Amino acid sequence: MRIMGVGGGAREHALAWKMSLSDHKPEIFWIAENRNPGIHKICKDNQGELRTGRTTDPKTIVRSSRGWGVDIVVVGPEEPGFNGIPDALEKEGIHCVGASQELSIIERSKADLRRLQWENNLPGKLLFRTFKNAREASDYIRKNIGTQPWLQNIVIKPARQSGGKGVKLIEDRLAHLHENKGRFKEAYFDSLQASMAAYSDIEDKILVEEKAWGPEYSLQCFTDGKTVLGTPLVQDNKSAHEFDSGPETGGMGSISGPDLALPFITRDEYDKSLKIVEGIVEAIQKKTGKSYHGMVGGQMMLTENEGPTIIEMYSRLGDPEALNMLAMLKTDIVDVFQAIIERRLSKLKLEFTNEDAVVVKVVAPNGYPEKKEKAKGHPVQVFETNIKRNGCYLFWGNADLQDNGEAVTGGSRLLALMATDHTLPPASALIEKTMSSIQLTDGWGLYHRSDIGSEQLLAKRWDSAERVRRLYQYREEHGTLGRRMEWIPKVGTIDPSQLLLKEMQGPEKAG
Amino acid sequence: MPGLVGFYTFGEGRENWDASHFIRYGLGALQGRGQESISLATVGPGNTLHTLAGKGGVEDFFEKNKTSIPKGFIGIGQTSSYIDDYLVHVKTPYELVLALDGKTDLHENRREASKLFARQLSQLLHSENEPLKATSMLVNKIGGGYSFVALTHKRALISGRNPLGVKPLETGSVGFDIAAVASETCALDVMGIDHTGPVETGEVIMFTPEDIRGNAPAADAGNFCSYEYVYLARLDSTVNTLPVAKARNSIGRELAKAHPAKANVVIGVPETALPIANGYSQESGLPQEPGFVRTGENIRAALEPTQKERLVGVQLKLNPIKSAIENKDVVLVDDSVVRGNTLRNTVLNLKRNGAHQVHVRIGSPALVSPCPYGVEIPDADELISSSLDEKELANHVAADSVSFMTVEELQRAIGLPRQNLCMRCFENGGAKR
Repeated sequence: MRIMGVGGGAREHALAWKMSLSDHKPEIFWIAENRNPGIHKICKDNQGELRTGRTTDPKTIVRSSRGWGVDIVVVGPEEPGFNGIPDALEKEGIHCVGASQELSIIERSKADLRRLQWENNLPGKLLFRTFKNAREASDYIRKNIGTQPWLQNIVIKPARQSGGKGVKLIEDRLAHLHENKGRFKEAYFDSLQASMAAYSDIEDKILVEEKAWGPEYSLQCFTDGKTVLGTPLVQDNKSAHEFDSGPETGGMGSISGPDLALPFITRDEYDKSLKIVEGIVEAIQKKTGKSYHGMVGGQMMLTENEGPTIIEMYSRLGDPEALNMLAMLKTDIVDVFQAIIERRLSKLKLEFTNEDAVVVKVVAPNGYPEKKEKAKGHPVQVFETNIKRNGCYLFWGNADLQDNGEAVTGGSRLLALMATDHTLPPASALIEKTMSSIQLTDGWGLYHRSDIGSEQLLAKRWDSAERVRRLYQYREEHGTLGRRMEWIPKVGTIDPSQLLLKEMQGPEKAG
Repeated sequence: MPGLVGFYTFGEGRENWDASHFIRYGLGALQGRGQESISLATVGPGNTLHTLAGKGGVEDFFEKNKTSIPKGFIGIGQTSSYIDDYLVHVKTPYELVLALDGKTDLHENRREASKLFARQLSQLLHSENEPLKATSMLVNKIGGGYSFVALTHKRALISGRNPLGVKPLETGSVGFDIAAVASETCALDVMGIDHTGPVETGEVIMFTPEDIRGNAPAADAGNFCSYEYVYLARLDSTVNTLPVAKARNSIGRELAKAHPAKANVVIGVPETALPIANGYSQESGLPQEPGFVRTGENIRAALEPTQKERLVGVQLKLNPIKSAIENKDVVLVDDSVVRGNTLRNTVLNLKRNGAHQVHVRIGSPALVSPCPYGVEIPDADELISSSLDEKELANHVAADSVSFMTVEELQRAIGLPRQNLCMRCFENGGAKR
């Protein structure tokens, strides 16, 4: 059997690693934009090959898979899906595990995801509003902040995935800081408008959502369109630096286990989260008429208004969350892929270890994420025997293997170290002990987050989960879960969700 | 004693943050540490340090200088109880401004000692290519007891506590955009920033456009100032992970256990001693009543510059509520006694207004030595407890009894190990017993 993977990050290295452990003994081929040293080695050891090429170009991918005569293609990152790689492959009769272009809208367009939730009245929603331009956003907020207080504390996002544009979380609770917070919001609207101007295919460019607080976690799932199978919860850490400070990154490390839910998330919350993801898969299939076969994930948060809530959706596995999940997976990964392709996931027994907690820590070169150019091109030295001796695993990320056999940094997250133990803190300590095994030979610095998986950070997560839980359970008991009521002097009681639904229906009726 | 604030921003759009605005409110929350002299510095897109300094208080300073407040998206600020105590600005070889709470041992004079520290830091940043390591070595080398925040023209913010850790410093962050340090957590709260934990003893944390990085903290837990818990820190702050309100309540309870009094009512001297009186009341079962209403600003009597102002301050501050004390025996709870003026005025005031017996209970041991790390505790010859014992002091202030806590009682109440608490002001030389 021949399998081809697409993508060159740590997530894809972990996928390749898991494939190499399969009883099917597949020959492993790969296409990535960078020569990932880990994937390169696995391909070579398994009668395959890693080739570099544009992973978003359907022609490149189809040509290679035909040339290699592969049986299954597995797509790792989101961009190939956005660009219709699975569609192109299936048109050619090549089996592909990965969300097709239309289905991947749940990740590509944050605004469409919210509309889907509200149109279908699915649980786990947040209030939102989209705007055509910065002016419209600023005017709307200024005009309505008095009668719709949720507009004070907001998350600003590009309405669709847009090169490098991040998310801004703005809490505007303190009257004395209101002016500066308002100015910051409006300046970011301007900046989003400028960067989104290039996309003429969509009308709405700016997305504003109600800001929620609480512990975040990812629920990654396999689906064949009929069945959605959940995997253990994983918590990623998005801030660059210790104790959740500093700029937003792709993810600096993640924790999972030893059970299906995380130590601070209940089994009931897990079940509810899975229902929410199932609901999204069902709704997007209904809307597009396409069948979803591949990976899907909810980036969730426990919130005071809704309990488990979707922050964003993945149309793929998370990076680094995939590493945790794959480390816990006991079922043969190739069996999983075959069951997805043959639409018989309901018959598959998906098994995970319940003995090991998994910690993953990402190592990034100084300069990431704000000055990637500076972070690029530094030669890497890795002491593999040390890593193995300490019982850790290394997954290469944004690194490029040169012809001389040396790996250099690509400017983004370089690699991830993973360790397992019965609980999280000792696994975290094991990685800390191993960190000195990774160096840049030109003296440029590397950093990682030592706090991930530590007692201290876990206690903080636990505490925040308990606080939110008390609030949403209160709402559950009082029948107000998911409702947002405001009482405004001289106006009376208003329900911003009703306003939102009315606004969503408005243009449709007119049209 | 200064209060420090450092404000740092990341990411796209950072130029839209107005650091001075956050610093203003952060310093406002720290005014209890002093408000004689205010100064701040910011740096923006141009990599130029802008500074401003002047007389306090914080609100007056910012209102008066509305048009000249330095603009920038990164900044530091200091509010100090000392006259003309401003940020130290070093221009060469490496330009930086420094705010420092406490005292380094580089010079007898606190101000000179801070200047020398700033110069050494500037020299190191200029000559060393690993600034974090260099600063960490400096902090381990230079003794004294201090916390500091420095800002460089290259937009690096460097904060740290020396291994003794006698002076507090706390960190916080919010969203992906803002990180901060401040002497007390109340300043972070007011700036809308979530507290993430203390800067550890011997730890240096450096914020640069690329990074936030810390060195390994000292192995020793440090020697925290116990007077922070008694009097200095604001009630809504957490100092070294211990909530101040909790510490003050337990000081009151310990005081009631060790120094009971026969009385009808417990009255606390506003503001600091109120939660101590509350703890005393809870433990003793005696009711606590509000005893005074303050007129005018919350002036910390012991920190006032001249004797005259101090007397006026006291009278304005404490107008007794007569019905609460008339014909009653009163336990009067205060946090500490410096020169005894406040206490004398207060006791006399109570008796003139109808209180029968007044038993004074102090929520700390007698102050007998000045603070080597810059807290304004006067020299020993100005401290009444270095010459009068409890009985003599009672006679002096016209109280029916006066009791201080012992060092052991205070340590037990705070709940930290003895070796981790600095109690030099209660010990060296010793109280007259």
